[in-house]
Amino acid sequence: MSLKEIRARISSVKNTQQITKAMKMVSAAKLRRAQDNIINLRPYAKGVLGLIADIAVTHRVNHPLLQPKSHPQKVLAVVITSDRGLCGSFNSSVSKFVEAYYKENKDKYEQLDFLYVGRKGAEYLKNRGLPKPIDVILNLAREISYTMAANVAERLMTAFTSGGYDEIQFVYNEFKSAISQDRVTETLLPIDLSHSSLLNENDQKFSKDLIFEPSPEEIVEELLHKHFAVQVYRIMCESVAGEHAARMTAMENATNNANDMVRNLTLTYNKLRQAAITTELMEITSGAEALKG
Amino acid sequence: MLLTLVTPEKKLLTGTEIDEILVPGSKGQLDILPGHAPLVSTLTTGVLQYKEKGQSNFKAVVISWGYLEVTPTGVMVLAETAEKPEDLEAERVEEALKRAETKLKEGLNVGEIVKYQRKHQRASARLELLKNYSKN
Repeated sequence: MSLKEIRARISSVKNTQQITKAMKMVSAAKLRRAQDNIINLRPYAKGVLGLIADIAVTHRVNHPLLQPKSHPQKVLAVVITSDRGLCGSFNSSVSKFVEAYYKENKDKYEQLDFLYVGRKGAEYLKNRGLPKPIDVILNLAREISYTMAANVAERLMTAFTSGGYDEIQFVYNEFKSAISQDRVTETLLPIDLSHSSLLNENDQKFSKDLIFEPSPEEIVEELLHKHFAVQVYRIMCESVAGEHAARMTAMENATNNANDMVRNLTLTYNKLRQAAITTELMEITSGAEALKG
Repeated sequence: MLLTLVTPEKKLLTGTEIDEILVPGSKGQLDILPGHAPLVSTLTTGVLQYKEKGQSNFKAVVISWGYLEVTPTGVMVLAETAEKPEDLEAERVEEALKRAETKLKEGLNVGEIVKYQRKHQRASARLELLKNYSKN
């Protein structure tokens, strides 16, 4: 490589580095907002569960939404990825898992449908022999709001209650921390409350003699719908936060790599430059020596 | 009596000491004072008012659809949305109200009627809030 080429290379790497650095900062800001969403949601989610728990203490909560099917035949999997790339293995881990999952389970269930949230997953899975998705939802990161999640939840709930599906699963990236996201599969419908510690707590809740307006059955019905909507919103929030975190990490790595590259290139550049100077000096001195005779 | 007011998107109050709270229950306004019997109720769209401890004025927020749980220690309100007067703009609220009114006068199918009735209800609750509480 000539000196000129190396110079051009260095400046192009530096340009790229500036872009990755900027993207990292943007992702960091967006991540903070997404994390706030998750934190703000918690008290509400806890409140809804707490209410269900309070009612469960005095009344047997025995709702069809809570009854797991022993042999689910019709399953809907909601696959959540992001719309944009440059976020490490965030999308590919989910997409590849879903591809393998389909191959493994297509014979087990009578019907296995998919709903894609996010462009990346939808694009990857389009030509991999999976059935056509029942719908594709885009622009999650930009338009995320409880209202949007509640609309999606309502649709899924209708599909579930009208007998379209026995089980609704979600495949998404769970937000663990800014540096780690985990791909998880969660069954949201039928609702399984046994996991939530709130319902198993044997605290003073027992003494409560509650007045209900309207009847507890009606309240439970509504609460379970709310609970589902809240869970859908939570999963979306987690995925969005995970996306920004993954992009932040990816961009941080890219910036560091660019740094290394610049350092190596500068070293080569200086070596070459010094070699050129040495050669030039040798030429001059040997020329002078030759003239002296 | 402690008041907790949360929505899926924000925490408005977490454990604020209050003396009295008026909420739009689904079967009419509820007035809750300390020592109220434990109660679970659904709430409808409307203005929620509460009086902080030692204060004489009510503060108010518009909530849409949610739950109320009264326990011996306090009140928990889980609302779909909650807005303070300073979050709202009078012009836009009035516009929304008018739009809902004109839509309701047109012939609509059942689903749309429900939708616009809800919008109308929410807009009028917001307007009420702005008229009565925008000063404080």
